Amino acid sequence: MPSLVAVGPGRPASPSVVILAAASPEAGTRVEVGGWAGPLGLLLSLIETRKLDVMTVPLGGLAEAYLDALAGLAGDRLGHISVFVAVAGQLILIKSRALLPRHDGAADLAEATDEGGDPEVELRERLLVYRAHRDAGLRLAAVAAERVGLFRREPAAALAAAFAGAAPPDPVPLEPRLLAGALTELVQVIAPPEPPVEVLARVVTLAERAAVIRAAIRAAPQVILQELLRGVRDRVVVSVTFLALLELMKRHEIVVDQAVPFGPIHARRATAAERSAAGLAPEPGSDPLDESLATFA
Amino acid sequence: MIGEENPPTPAARGLNGDGSPEPVRPLDPIELTEAALEALLFVAERPLSRREIAGLVGTDRATVDARLGDLEVSLRARGIRLVASDDRVELATAPEAGPIVARYVGADAVRLSPASLETLAIVAYRQPVTKAAVERIRGVDSDYTIRSLVHRRLVTELGRADAPGRPFLYGTGFDFLERFGLASLDELPLLEADVASRLVDGQQPDG
Repeated sequence: MPSLVAVGPGRPASPSVVILAAASPEAGTRVEVGGWAGPLGLLLSLIETRKLDVMTVPLGGLAEAYLDALAGLAGDRLGHISVFVAVAGQLILIKSRALLPRHDGAADLAEATDEGGDPEVELRERLLVYRAHRDAGLRLAAVAAERVGLFRREPAAALAAAFAGAAPPDPVPLEPRLLAGALTELVQVIAPPEPPVEVLARVVTLAERAAVIRAAIRAAPQVILQELLRGVRDRVVVSVTFLALLELMKRHEIVVDQAVPFGPIHARRATAAERSAAGLAPEPGSDPLDESLATFA
Repeated sequence: MIGEENPPTPAARGLNGDGSPEPVRPLDPIELTEAALEALLFVAERPLSRREIAGLVGTDRATVDARLGDLEVSLRARGIRLVASDDRVELATAPEAGPIVARYVGADAVRLSPASLETLAIVAYRQPVTKAAVERIRGVDSDYTIRSLVHRRLVTELGRADAPGRPFLYGTGFDFLERFGLASLDELPLLEADVASRLVDGQQPDG
């Protein structure tokens, strides 16, 4: 394992080596670097531990140490592992670029343009900005420790003053005319809300559809159900019409015939003889159809 | 007569004698002296805005600014300081008096983790700033840290950025200045020189 030491922001700190019960020393020894809170903090701590200058240190040379430190990350930091891996990727890229031969001139320019600039310059820039704010935070803490803080009068003091007789100034009187005018303008500005769209349930009754069938039969000696429903796309209308047809058939008002399955359904008015044979009066009565279909089956 | 109340006069009801509304009368102006301003801030239980003070005494903003400047100079040698944050001002104890006042009120020193300190520094130096900008500089998720600082009132929500998602803009307020013994943001310790110069030039070091 690398010889990392725990480094707090801006100050050297003691190493924090954790020995765990594990099968192998590699898995059982974990070096924790404390005091930093992100990938830049970790990288900066590696630089400062080695007493290197962040302005000049070849960042690619820290890739191995960074990856070693990454392997020893505590479990509670695994939630942010992606940001650490992203910086590790940058370091590896920087290292690989340093190993490859470089060509000056147009090729470099094209490469930089294609890949969004030199990753080492960008990472160094980020490190400098991060370090500036980290150190500023430490200086703030030092100022706070030195000055302790400022203190103002608490509200309780003002409350006591109010009890002693102090009173806030009278509020500015509000002119009712102005208020009424403002309200009137507001009413004009805000259009009355559109009434909600009223949705009515469509009702198709057996009686309506039976009337359609009866009218058709009165006009012609026989009708074909499919012809009667030509152009109808509403399944409810089709179903109720068919039910009405069955009801009329059951009441012996009409006679229905279908020669072949799925073929045309012919309906004609029942003759007086046919009704008599069924024990019914020659003319059908005016009893209403059973809309509830309680006696349908 | 005891127990009998006089009916309110038309003036008391905001009406003229004929029942018509009485026109709004501005408050009588008061001369804003340095002493009066000091007294006003002394009894105020909260920071007062310059606009509020101007409206209270019936004067213009420039006069308020001038008197506040005079008061700030006069208080430099005293145990009280004028603390300013944005448009608002308040009186607070001088930093030199911090230890004795802290002992009297039993206040503890501010304790913050390194993560909170660097987050607070980013907000203080770069305000108004979004969480995403803080995270770009720190390189790590800062949601919990910012929420913790907001909860402690060291960081405040200033509004929303005019950007996709309308993210919150964060800054510091009086609690930050008081806890860190600063009379204004001008007293913040200087940032590292080269970074500070880039910020002044308007570049985006985190971009």
